[in-house]
Amino acid sequence: MLIVEFIILIFLFSIAAGVFGSIVGLGGGVVVIPVLTILFGVNIHFAIGASIVAIIGTSSGAASTYVKDRVTNLRVGMFLELASTTGAITGAAMAAYTDSSALKIIFGSILLVTVVLQLMKLGEDIPKSPELKGLSKQLGLKGSYIETDGREIQYNATRPVSGLAGTAVAGVLSGLLGIGGGGFKVLSMDMAMKLPMKVSTTTSNFMIGVTAAASAGIYFVRGDVDPLIVAPVALGILIGAAIGARVLMRSKNPTIRKAFALVLAVSAVEMILSAVGVIS
Amino acid sequence: MNFRDPDSMNLVIGNVLRYGVLLSAAIVLFGTLLLAASNGFGDSSDFLTYINNQVPHSSFYVSFSSLFNGLASLNAFAWIELGVIVLIATPVSRVLISVFLFAAERDRLYMAVTAVVLLLLLFSMLVTPFIPLFQG
Repeated sequence: MLIVEFIILIFLFSIAAGVFGSIVGLGGGVVVIPVLTILFGVNIHFAIGASIVAIIGTSSGAASTYVKDRVTNLRVGMFLELASTTGAITGAAMAAYTDSSALKIIFGSILLVTVVLQLMKLGEDIPKSPELKGLSKQLGLKGSYIETDGREIQYNATRPVSGLAGTAVAGVLSGLLGIGGGGFKVLSMDMAMKLPMKVSTTTSNFMIGVTAAASAGIYFVRGDVDPLIVAPVALGILIGAAIGARVLMRSKNPTIRKAFALVLAVSAVEMILSAVGVIS
Repeated sequence: MNFRDPDSMNLVIGNVLRYGVLLSAAIVLFGTLLLAASNGFGDSSDFLTYINNQVPHSSFYVSFSSLFNGLASLNAFAWIELGVIVLIATPVSRVLISVFLFAAERDRLYMAVTAVVLLLLLFSMLVTPFIPLFQG
């Protein structure tokens, strides 16, 4: 294969990764890592380096649309970033002393359980909004956005401390394993804080760029970011994220939940398979 | 601009992200075209074997002076690296600007929240890669 062909193929796969990643709020890593390692024979280090760049690209590329359209909740995002960045630093510090295979199996299994929980609430459109009280009220964790049918959806967040704890776990996983963060961020907002699905995935999408940027320095200094691989990934992801953002704005919450459950299941299986050595 | 209007905050943050991404994409594209023009018709498997064997050191420039020299001599990898640096800097700029936007809104609570996030982010990006604890 010529280098130009190699670049164009990775570019096309990355567009697909950007579309899915920006809709479900997980970034493109869940697609980019297996495509690079299994299909193209790229070393896992460079694949993870490319995935970090892919996550930042998905996040920033789609967030510009989501933020302007006010579907992302900036206050929820910035409040939870306290936990995700702290978690990412803690995870990175633990990496040398932790058996990553055992953790991947544990967290992969937890994710599989949450897939079942997601499937049980597939039909839910907008959750019944809880009363705004306590810490949520002090932090102003509420918002509104316009649904596809023109309704203005007003919502309040509940259980901010549980959301913070779930996001801290997400941060530790990204710092420790380089993967798995986005899923737990969406789950924290969806299951603990009771935000509408669209708000959860787009606010996760908003936050994952910061979590990934936090660990980018380490991968850069280690030399895990290779230009030949990263260039087509970055370009494809940015185009994919722009497309994904438009698709999300026209999709209904139950559709987004289906896509999220699917990507979450793939991500969980990937984690478990890589722990037992079936895939790198 | 009235920063007390929540829409204007969304607009500013949305624009920071949009222009950061567009600038990054333009630079990476330029670097990729340079790469295709110089090396594009070589065999990718040779190249892949070469870079995979380089672990843990890829061909990216590490020091700023070598990066500048590479940019000046139109080295494809140097331009791609610059584009990636702009991409990584985009969410960081978004957090930095949020601190000022909340300050303009006189929202001290969120000004503090975003300032702490910014400090954690800068610590993690710029300091931890050089601490042995984090190099495992």
